[in-house]
Amino acid sequence: MSKVVDREAVRQAIEKLPLFSSAALQLLQVISDPDHELEDVVKIVKFDSALTMRVLKAVNSPVYGLVKEVTSIDRALSYLGERMVVSIAVQENTGPLFSKPLDGYQSEPGGLWRHDLFTAIASREVARYAKGNFDLDLAFTGGLLHDIGKSIFATFWKDASLEALGQIEQGIVSDYLMAEQDLAGLDHTEVGYEMARHWQLPESLQAVILHHHHPAEAIECMQPLVYAVHVGDIVSMMAGCDTGSDGLKYQLDPGYQEFFNLSPNALAEIVLNSEEEFSKAEASLVSQ
Amino acid sequence: MSQSILGIGDYGAVKHPGGEVKTFALGSCVAAILLDPRTKAVGMVHVALPDSSINEAKARQRPGYFADLGLPLLIQEMARLGSPGNGRGLVVKLVGGASIMDHNDTFNIGKRNVLALKKYLWAYGLGPLAEDVGGNHSRTVSVFVDTGKVIVNCPGRGQWEV
Repeated sequence: MSKVVDREAVRQAIEKLPLFSSAALQLLQVISDPDHELEDVVKIVKFDSALTMRVLKAVNSPVYGLVKEVTSIDRALSYLGERMVVSIAVQENTGPLFSKPLDGYQSEPGGLWRHDLFTAIASREVARYAKGNFDLDLAFTGGLLHDIGKSIFATFWKDASLEALGQIEQGIVSDYLMAEQDLAGLDHTEVGYEMARHWQLPESLQAVILHHHHPAEAIECMQPLVYAVHVGDIVSMMAGCDTGSDGLKYQLDPGYQEFFNLSPNALAEIVLNSEEEFSKAEASLVSQ
Repeated sequence: MSQSILGIGDYGAVKHPGGEVKTFALGSCVAAILLDPRTKAVGMVHVALPDSSINEAKARQRPGYFADLGLPLLIQEMARLGSPGNGRGLVVKLVGGASIMDHNDTFNIGKRNVLALKKYLWAYGLGPLAEDVGGNHSRTVSVFVDTGKVIVNCPGRGQWEV
């Protein structure tokens, strides 16, 4: 049976994507290093005037209710945290990819950004329950980029979405990712992985993007991070912040229990805290 | 025609002609919907978690977030529009409570939300006349004053009446 998505056309679409700015790339590389310091992030942002301007605009937005205007990057970063700076840099470098409607998933414009931002926040909350040491902000960044492949894949997937839902209902495939594989011959995680390679993103982020639905397939040292995003993604869908017709149609890998202590109460706290921080983060980024 | 949009943890009731109460993307959250056939008032609460004891600060700030606090508040809101304060005679419908494709109970917040709402409804001697709960799909739901109809929308599945 011929597949509904032309692999070569997808490859060409990825090749045409503009590259990340050197500041954004440096930022992602620095935050992927667990030994980095806040000062390293400040140095990068300071040398990018556009990023500096957007960070200052975010911290001075009414959402944070600061009495005195913040004019220095050092202070802005201590208010916002690295994760908001990363969100701004990613939003700036991915342009319309996050904001366009995902036709293939029947998602509204901005649906992908909202889902990825919620997942980023939820992944960070999940990471708080890690059994070992964990870089919380790296979990956030992984969550922010995990579904980026849908921005390209959705365009090619348009006509197959309803068939995918039918396959799941009939039990032909076990979840939406399998339906993508079955009908298209590739899925949004593979497309995202190729995009991440094109952008030369750090390997940890590439692993998150490729394996977030099957975290056990990631190499061992990356698994805690990938599982955090796997669970964060699911929390985001449970909170109704999905990307459309594929919402909730994925399998949970119980392997997360090896890395995180998640009781029903812990999960409820994660939902609660994520929703609260999401409302704030979304409002400050929208006011950009 | 006027639309009241409820976010997570919001509750509200209307009875003016053309009125509609709507909430988007329920996921594992549940909308408890109340209809008063006598006054024509309709109301809804968008519940995210079953029990407020998990976070007292949040419970004070947004009580509608929790089944145990949200339902009594919605009944009070209906009473403000002329319904009995004890909830007697109200028609109840439940929508939402979906889950991920898994049988892990930790993640089945949707089922726990539905069970909690039913428990608190029973305390008023009420039970759902109709429900569209569970499954693996997110729902958007509207309730209309003029017709009393409860309409559910879902990406990729269309719309239907509950």
